[in-house]
Amino acid sequence: MPRERKGKSEKISSTLEMPFQVIEVKDLTDSAYIVSITRNAMPFTAGQHILLGEAGSTQMREYSVYSGETDEHLEVLVREVEDGLVSRRLKRLKPGDTLQVEPPVGFFTLPLARLPHDRFLFIASGTGIAPFHSFIRSNPDLDYTLLHGVRKADEDFGADDYNHRRYIQCTSRDRNGRFYGRVTDYLKKYPQPDFAMVYLCGNYDMILEAMDILRTQGYREEQMVAEVYF
Amino acid sequence: MHRTVAFRTLGCRLNQYETDALASAFDKDGYSIVELEDEADVVIINTCTVTNQSDRKSRQVMNQAIRRDTDHRKLIIMTGCSVNNHKEALGAISGVSYLVENGQKSQILNIVNSHFRGEMVDPSRLPEDLFGFAAAERTFHTRSIIKIQDGCDNFCTFCIIPEVRGRAVSRPLPDILENIRQVLDFGFKEVVLTGVNIGRYDFDGHNFDDLVEKVLDLPGDFRVRISSIEPDGFGDKLYRLFQHPKLAPHMHLCLQSGSERILLQMRRMYTARRFREITDKIRRQRPDFNFTTDIIVGFPGETEADLMETVEFAREIGFSHIHTFKYSKRHGTRAERMPDQLTEAEKNRRSEIIRLVSEENKRKYRESMLGKTQRVIVEKVENGMAMGYGEHYIPVAFPARGLGWNEWASVKLWSLDDGEDPTVRAKMISDI
Repeated sequence: MPRERKGKSEKISSTLEMPFQVIEVKDLTDSAYIVSITRNAMPFTAGQHILLGEAGSTQMREYSVYSGETDEHLEVLVREVEDGLVSRRLKRLKPGDTLQVEPPVGFFTLPLARLPHDRFLFIASGTGIAPFHSFIRSNPDLDYTLLHGVRKADEDFGADDYNHRRYIQCTSRDRNGRFYGRVTDYLKKYPQPDFAMVYLCGNYDMILEAMDILRTQGYREEQMVAEVYF
Repeated sequence: MHRTVAFRTLGCRLNQYETDALASAFDKDGYSIVELEDEADVVIINTCTVTNQSDRKSRQVMNQAIRRDTDHRKLIIMTGCSVNNHKEALGAISGVSYLVENGQKSQILNIVNSHFRGEMVDPSRLPEDLFGFAAAERTFHTRSIIKIQDGCDNFCTFCIIPEVRGRAVSRPLPDILENIRQVLDFGFKEVVLTGVNIGRYDFDGHNFDDLVEKVLDLPGDFRVRISSIEPDGFGDKLYRLFQHPKLAPHMHLCLQSGSERILLQMRRMYTARRFREITDKIRRQRPDFNFTTDIIVGFPGETEADLMETVEFAREIGFSHIHTFKYSKRHGTRAERMPDQLTEAEKNRRSEIIRLVSEENKRKYRESMLGKTQRVIVEKVENGMAMGYGEHYIPVAFPARGLGWNEWASVKLWSLDDGEDPTVRAKMISDI
């Protein structure tokens, strides 16, 4: 996002003037949930991430914004990490609790000039679906296919938010998804050579393997954009 | 009363620019610039925090300055990234007069002058002004370093810079062009565009490529060098601009690792393959283009195979210089929490491997340039020999024949010295 602050840096440790308050914590699966918070008119570009933590805490973590650019509230999708310092505490938040949020950053964003005519392939594993959710909510006419790798079909992370013809859930531990196997198995079995751009978000093993497969299907480096989740 | 000031700069070219600008401002205000070892009324240490070693060096310089100040009359000022990162700890050290964060660095002359008038200024209460440095006339360098932006939004997992330099902010284009016009009037013949992440320059619809084009369009006999740049920011126009005779065929293009796996974990926004495409594209236009780079060794989880990929990649691209950093855990970064952190001994071993590759590449590249001509700006003349850098950023020495500092010389590269950083011996074209 272009910034023109003319000589004043925006320190990431700066405290935004209005407090961010929790509106709701909504479970999506046993381990994944959405934190909905007040937006305070903070602009962002779909695909960017914010730093989030409890008010007063020194521990903050990066989360991709899950909600759309024009949505009233700001949402992030969180996976609860066993022994995690932040994700477990965020889950216990109650409406009205205060959070500290640092402004959105990141370049995992769509090329706006290409949206009206180009087709996009989105490949996610687990909560790596969050930026794609934001892409799709922000751009309702987007021409996309979304491959989503999860272990079991009930980890659908809000599948109803996507056009069912465009959303392909790949499940590696049960056969109740649209495809049984990893997203990389899907790519090998059903080559996807016709997209203008491919965006990948999730764990790095998936990203590296998927990019190798996509290269064999003719994709050039500048057609692939990746965001790693740890 | 006539006063003296000494400077010490650690770290990046942006720090060098800021010190140059400060030194020039002090000089204009009547201060004499002296060496750090000399008795100075004011000592300004512009620090770096990019690695543990940078922090350590910054503190060493500070401790030396404090030790030398036996009668407690010196004004010792610490500024720069180490101050932003460790303000509390540095504040507890007696002997330091002022801690000035990056945002207020451009106002150090005012802080010092106020102090000598008996006015104690709290630097943290001054407004932030990242681009408040006047064009520098008398500097420590033959080349004029020009700051075009500050801060970074990339948030690589190992990097503390967004914390200490803040988010990316671009200097207004008209100010940059005016700054360059001024330094050309001062007599500088080369300008070096610098910042934290210059490829992401973005002001009023002008990106980095547009900025370079505008700078090249300025009248005068000068050349432009692009300093350290990330491979993910600039656009297609820059490739074409490298055909412009004023744009130096050299880039310090930061690689960090040749392993795709490590690049992804570092959250670099390019692949090694993409990096290769960039260098190939540039070398198709300029086969002798000089690429130098930064490499980090010992990133968490870096295996021997990852290191070997980096070694092979560095040989393939033929970086003529590699600035090797041993990975340092920086508090608050994502990599701090990554498993498989490596020992210092292992990082040292890997660093040495990369150093040897750099040395081998450097010799090979400079040998490949023998027989070619260069337009050198003389940086010093000693014992009848002129020394300086040509457009490809190779150190060159040749008989001065009456040439002086900051003069152009067209030379033919002739032979190569021995040693780790071999100077290229040359002859002036007029002598051949």
